[in-house]
Order: sequence, then structure tokens, then C-alpha cells
Amino acid sequence: MTDRELVEGREVAEGIVFTDQEGGIEEYRLSNGMKLLLVQQRTPRVVALMVLYHVGSRNEAVGHTGATHLLEHMMFKGTPTFNRERGTQIAAILKRIGAHFNATTWYDRTNYFEAVPAEQLELVIHLEADRMRNSWIRDEDRESERIVVRNELERGENDPLRVLDQHAWAIAFREHPYHHPTIGWRSDVENVPTARLREFYHTFYWPNNATTIIVGDFDRQHTLGLVARYFGQIPRSPHPIPEVYTKEPPQQGERRFHLRRAGEVGIVQLCYHTPEARHPDIYPLALLSRLLTEGVTTRLYQRLVDAGLAISVQAHVTEFRDPGLLEITAVLRPGVEHQRVEEEIIDELENIKAKGVRQDELVRAQRKVEADVYFARDGALNYAFALGESESSADWRWFLEYVPRIQRVTPDEIRRVANQYLLRDNLTVGWFVPLPASGPESHQLAEGENR
Amino acid sequence: MIDKTFVERTQRVRLPNGVTLLVYENPANPTVHVSGALRAGSFLDPQNQPGLAQITASMLMRGTRRRTKVEIARDLEDVGAELNISGNRFLVRASGQALSKDAPRLLANLVEVLREPAFPEDELTRLKQQVVGQLRRQQEQTQVRALERFLQLTYDRTHPFYQVPIEERIASVEALTVDDVAAFYAQHYGAATLIVIVVGDIQSAAIEGIVTELLGDWTPGQPAEIAVGRTEPRREPRREIITMRDKPNVDIVLGHPGQLRRTDPDYYAAYIANAALGHSTLSSRLGLRVRDEEGLTYGIVSRFLDPGLVDGPWLVSLTVNPENVDRAIDSTVNIITSYVEEGITERELEDEKSSFVGSFIVSLGTNAGIAGHLLSVEVYGLGIEHLDVLPELVKSVTRDEVNAAIAKYIHPEQLLTVIAGEYPPE
Repeated sequence: MTDRELVEGREVAEGIVFTDQEGGIEEYRLSNGMKLLLVQQRTPRVVALMVLYHVGSRNEAVGHTGATHLLEHMMFKGTPTFNRERGTQIAAILKRIGAHFNATTWYDRTNYFEAVPAEQLELVIHLEADRMRNSWIRDEDRESERIVVRNELERGENDPLRVLDQHAWAIAFREHPYHHPTIGWRSDVENVPTARLREFYHTFYWPNNATTIIVGDFDRQHTLGLVARYFGQIPRSPHPIPEVYTKEPPQQGERRFHLRRAGEVGIVQLCYHTPEARHPDIYPLALLSRLLTEGVTTRLYQRLVDAGLAISVQAHVTEFRDPGLLEITAVLRPGVEHQRVEEEIIDELENIKAKGVRQDELVRAQRKVEADVYFARDGALNYAFALGESESSADWRWFLEYVPRIQRVTPDEIRRVANQYLLRDNLTVGWFVPLPASGPESHQLAEGENR
Repeated sequence: MIDKTFVERTQRVRLPNGVTLLVYENPANPTVHVSGALRAGSFLDPQNQPGLAQITASMLMRGTRRRTKVEIARDLEDVGAELNISGNRFLVRASGQALSKDAPRLLANLVEVLREPAFPEDELTRLKQQVVGQLRRQQEQTQVRALERFLQLTYDRTHPFYQVPIEERIASVEALTVDDVAAFYAQHYGAATLIVIVVGDIQSAAIEGIVTELLGDWTPGQPAEIAVGRTEPRREPRREIITMRDKPNVDIVLGHPGQLRRTDPDYYAAYIANAALGHSTLSSRLGLRVRDEEGLTYGIVSRFLDPGLVDGPWLVSLTVNPENVDRAIDSTVNIITSYVEEGITERELEDEKSSFVGSFIVSLGTNAGIAGHLLSVEVYGLGIEHLDVLPELVKSVTRDEVNAAIAKYIHPEQLLTVIAGEYPPE
């Protein structure tokens, strides 16, 4: 098939219809509802496969928070085809071919990915199609994996930045499930029944709730044939995929909290509610966050880091399926007061609200976005990730339109969104207040036995 | 394109003053990656001034004789380019990326900060404050504390892998002056050991012209020699605990001096010897047992730490709940012991070889990946042709060679164990 033969609505392989293309990205739809994106790259000999399920911690509720992520772990435990007993354990198979592989869970999605030598594409297509419906989710596996995941949770709890951020989200979101962290609440992770994980699997792991993305060095027709053979035979879900309908009501009044734990340095975090990725205000907000902290020329870097008040400062606006947050996080230089840093940040935001931003700083932020999009295309797996995040929050066209939309933003729009969103009533403030460790650390020396 | 060798695709130029330039055209994406390395890392710190090499490296981007820090940053940010310079144990490393059309600007900035740093007083004051803050913050981290202590107990003060205690490091950084930094720069920076790697959608001839123009007249300087003997394996096993509050995850490091250098003839046998045991949490022996079967840890890996011009340690690191510390250590030591007794299996050997070869191909899929391989063979003097024979070299490693490497490099009876976190549990 040549490029010219790609006609919308035309069946290009058994059960696969070509639906759309732009900017080197081709979209197909399988008759079972799975969306397929193909991007051919000039990177020789490497191909990346990502299967993205539109299920994340956003789809959870109390009692089974963390279930999406725990399930992601269970998806490495085997199927009747790929398992330890047969010497075809998933991780072993992928290791053998030199794959760079893993899976991740986030608020809106779960993804499974492999970057492999081009000749191994069939194997990973087979593997991912197989575990879409055939995964074992067994009690005995869950028992050990529960402790593995609890240790992952504990690793996060060691980090004050992470803990502060989880508190901030839990306080800023009272009703919407972004309230709880993707890793889940500890007692849920410890107690969620295997049956609940199975139920999650059978609710969400279907082709019509997935986008499969293939990027790199591959033959299109051959690849379409492989996708048809392995994914094409999976049926569509017998039920509709449940929607998340919970909405976060507008915040009415500032929320504050302090977190006091052992630590060395203080942290101040400010969070403002912002809209979802598809909302047009996301572009000026993204630029606003960049021109606050990305690079040494930026406003808050100059005002906090260069002024000796903070050792780092970072602003970030989420681009999620549902409304999220603009977060500004400053790690304080030891000895500096939280209050002082909070006031400096608020004052700078007020400054922007009153006077707007300069054309040159806006242009710099826009150039950085543009370059970052090109950097994201260096490597098949990087590109698959960029497309996957875009599909997760909106769709792949959102990725293509990102740079042109960013380039159209004016200084006036930045000022407008600053005045619209950066309001006291819309603000959650968290302070991490470090407590000195109790007494001197103990260095117990045990000579001899190492058990 | 597939059949072209690294030797054919890489333009290598050695300037009379010692600068080595490697250019690799990769038209896959309209971007460029630049890597640089120069032998001025922290192994050159004077005994009483730990941190001087790193501070000097970090000061490069903070102002030149021609421009301020902010002017340099603005010049790069204007085109969305990135450039970072930092010092590690042996090298000062530069790493940058830009759109291909901006390669000349990226290189011009890199060379200016390398050749003409001004070390302004106010910037040094700021940098010291930030570094001290970062050092304090690192002290909150269980994995940092465990590894630091492990290195302190494993090496002598004069060894490049020794880790100076934190309060001493902070005091040293706070006392550094502009004169100290300028003197270190004058003594250790120069063209002689500089390597520049450029990979991306660029023209080799043009890049060569630019780099020659910018760097051809830099004085070579006196290249620092690295003369450190192999570290003798130690003594008896021991265990040490660092109790930290509010750390529900415990980091554990177990290991001993590693004795492996990148240029050793049995490097790949040793690489495979370690890989089958602990390269991957998901698929190596340690991970398959301690994580997958026993569920005791989220992560367990073993590695030779930074085996370069000097041999560093071999170590296992893992994280566990405080209640599981003893079980996890027992299990880990048992696995290492039986691995040393039994050796690698034929299946493991074949898996590790094919894994290495496949992973090598995948790693060539990005500009940064290609640059990393080129930099590595250049730093260690292996020659570009090494990358062309690498897959065959690895495939030819025999089971006997791997088992000999296991016996030579892995010693479960000598393990030093450091435990950091909320341990013992209350």
C-alpha cells in the first residue's frame, strides 16, 4: 500500500480501517474499537510499541485506591502463553531481546511499552495483545506483589516533596478522584481483594478502551497485518466502559495546611485550580508556568533562587483529562522563613496580574515549548510517550496542535488567565516544616557476622 | 544506513592542542545533541578542599569575561536550547541539545564558558548557598545516606571513591573563594583532555569547521594523570545502621571493592557476571527471587559502580519495609552465595548476551544514546571501531570466562552492609 492509497474509511487489513492522518501520524480503527496510531521514523532498526488503557487512578474510589497501579504490577505475572512455568515469563522474554520496557500508571491512564530491535515487533505485539485479556490475576501472586507495591509507596513517603504534593492534591480536590494519589492509600493497597483487581481488569482492559501506538522503523502493511492477527481477534467489551462523572465544585476560599516531619529543608507549595487539557486557557497557563520558573532568566528563579531565598523553584500546570492544578513549589534555603517565600511568590503573581508579561519573555517560553516538542521526537519510545500522554488527556491531534496554539498566545491572554485563575479563593497552600531528627543518628557497628 | 559502521559514520578529528571532536550525522530528527568531557573531576580536589572541582565546574555557566550568567542563559533560551555542565568523580561533563539549526550557537556558548569563565564573586556566593542547601536536602534521602556511608567505610581518604562526611563537605564549600576556583581552573582546564561529541541532523564538515575555529587555539594545559592502585578486597563482613525518623522505606547497600576497570580485558565477562545476578529488578536472579517470588522489595539491583579509569565498588542496593530488613538481607546473601557456588547457567548466559545486543541496538535510537557510546569509547581510549565489534565481542564471551569473573569480582563473604531508614522498627 502506498501513501496515496490511504483513503479515509478504507479497510487496509482485515478488520482495520484507516481513519485519519496528519503530520506523519496515521490513525486506524479496528472493528473491535481499538484505536491504532502508526508513526514511521527514520531511526533505523528500532521500534516502540505502547498500549495505553484509558484507566487510571481517576477511575478509583475509596476502598480500592491504588487498584489500577496494583493491577499494572499483576500484568507482569503471566498468562497461559507467557509465564514462568513455560520459561516464557514476560520480563524474561523481554530481557532476552534487549527490550527497554516497563509500564506506568497515572491519573488518567495506564501504559505498557517496549522499545525493541525492529525484527522483534511481532513478539511484543503478540505479548501485549495476549495480556490485554488473558492475564492471570491470582491470589498467590497478589500476596507478594502487595508488599512490593507497599514498598514502592513507602519509597514515596520517604520524600518530603512527594508527601507534600499528595497532601496538596488531597486538599485541593475534595470530591473529584484526583483527590487520592495514584499509588493509593496505604490501607487500601494492603487490603484490596484480588477479586476487586480482577473486576477492574474485566471492566477496563478491552480494545475499545485502548490506544495502541507504534513508532519507529517498520513496514506499514506488515505491521497492520500483525496488529490484525493479534489484536484483531479480541472482542469488544460486552458492556460500555464506565465514565467518570464526578466533578470538583469551585473552591470557595483559600485552604492551608502544614506538614511537620523529620527533614532538613522547608518547602512551600502553592496550587491553583486550572482547567482540563482540552480547554483553550491551558496554553496561556502552560506558558505562564514556564516563564515563572523555567530557566535562570525567569521571574521566580531570579526572585527566589538568585536572591538566595530558595535552592530551587518549579511551576507546572497539569494537562489532564479533567481540571487539574497549577503548582508552584519552592524548596527553601535553610534558615529562610516559609512566610517570606510565600509572599514573594504571591507578590510576583500579583505583579503579572497588574502589569502583564513582556513580549520577549513570552517568546522565550514559546521557543522552549517548540524545541521541547522536537526533543520529544528524538527516539521512538520518547515519541510514543508524547503521543500517549496526548491521547490520555485528549487525543493525538492535541499533540500536533500544541505548538501552533502555544505560538498564538499573546501577553494579554497571559494576563487574563493570571487574573482568572490565580485567585486567593482558588488557592491551596502547603508548607513542609522540617523537624530535627531525634537526637544524633546511631551508628551501630556489628563486627563479624553479616547475616 | 543499517550497514554503515560507526567508523564510517563518525568523523573523528584530533586538533594539535589535544581536542578530540567526534561528529555523527543522524538525520532522524531536526535536533542536535552535544556532549563534552574534560578530565577535571573531583578526584583532583585538594585533600582539604572537597567540593572544589564540582563548584568550579558549576561556575562555568555563571558568567564569562564577555557576558553575565543571565545573558548566556537568555542567548540559549531564545532558541529553546539547553546546556548543562557539572562535575563528577573524574570528568567535567557538558550536555546540551538544540534544534539542528542552532548547533553553532550551542557550541559557541559551550566554548565560551569553557575558555573564558570569569568566576564573579556574587555568583560564587549564590552557588555556594545553593550547593549547601542541596547537600542538606540530600541528607534526607535514605539511599544517599546509605551509599555515602558505604563509600566512607570502603575507601581510604585519598581514594577517588571515598565520600567526605557531609559536615566537612559543607564547611569546605562555604570556605571556598574566587581565588581557589580560579586557581583550580588554571591548573586543570585546557584543551589536552577535552572531548566534544556532536550527534544529530548536522553536516560534519560544518561542525568540524566551527569547532576548529572556536577551540583550535586553546592552550593544551597539563593533563592530570589518574594513578590509583587497585583497591584490595577487604577483610571481614560488617554491618552498620543509620537510623532516620519518618522514613518508612529502608535503603540497604551491600558490597565491597569492585576491582573492575572499563579497559580490563574481562570487562564484558564481568558485565555479564553481574547482569545475570542483578542488572534488572524485573528479570535478574536477585529481582526474580527477592521481588517477584518473595515480594520483599520494590527494587533490588547489583552493579559495578562507575567502573572507569579507576575501579569502584561492586554493590547491591535494595529498598524494604523496616520489618523485612533481616529477611531481605538473608535472602540476598543466600542468592549471591549460591550464584558464586553454582556459576551462571547456560540459559542465563545466552539471555544476557542477546539482551546486551538487543539493548545496544535500542540505545542507538536517540542522539543522546549514540553520543553516550561515542563518549565512552573515546574517554577510555577503546577506539570507535570498538562499537562496531561490540556485539560480536559480547557474543563470544564464554561460560568459563563469566564464571572466572564471578569468582574474581563477587565475594559474598566480604560484604559490608549499610542500612538507612526507620530501622530498627519501633
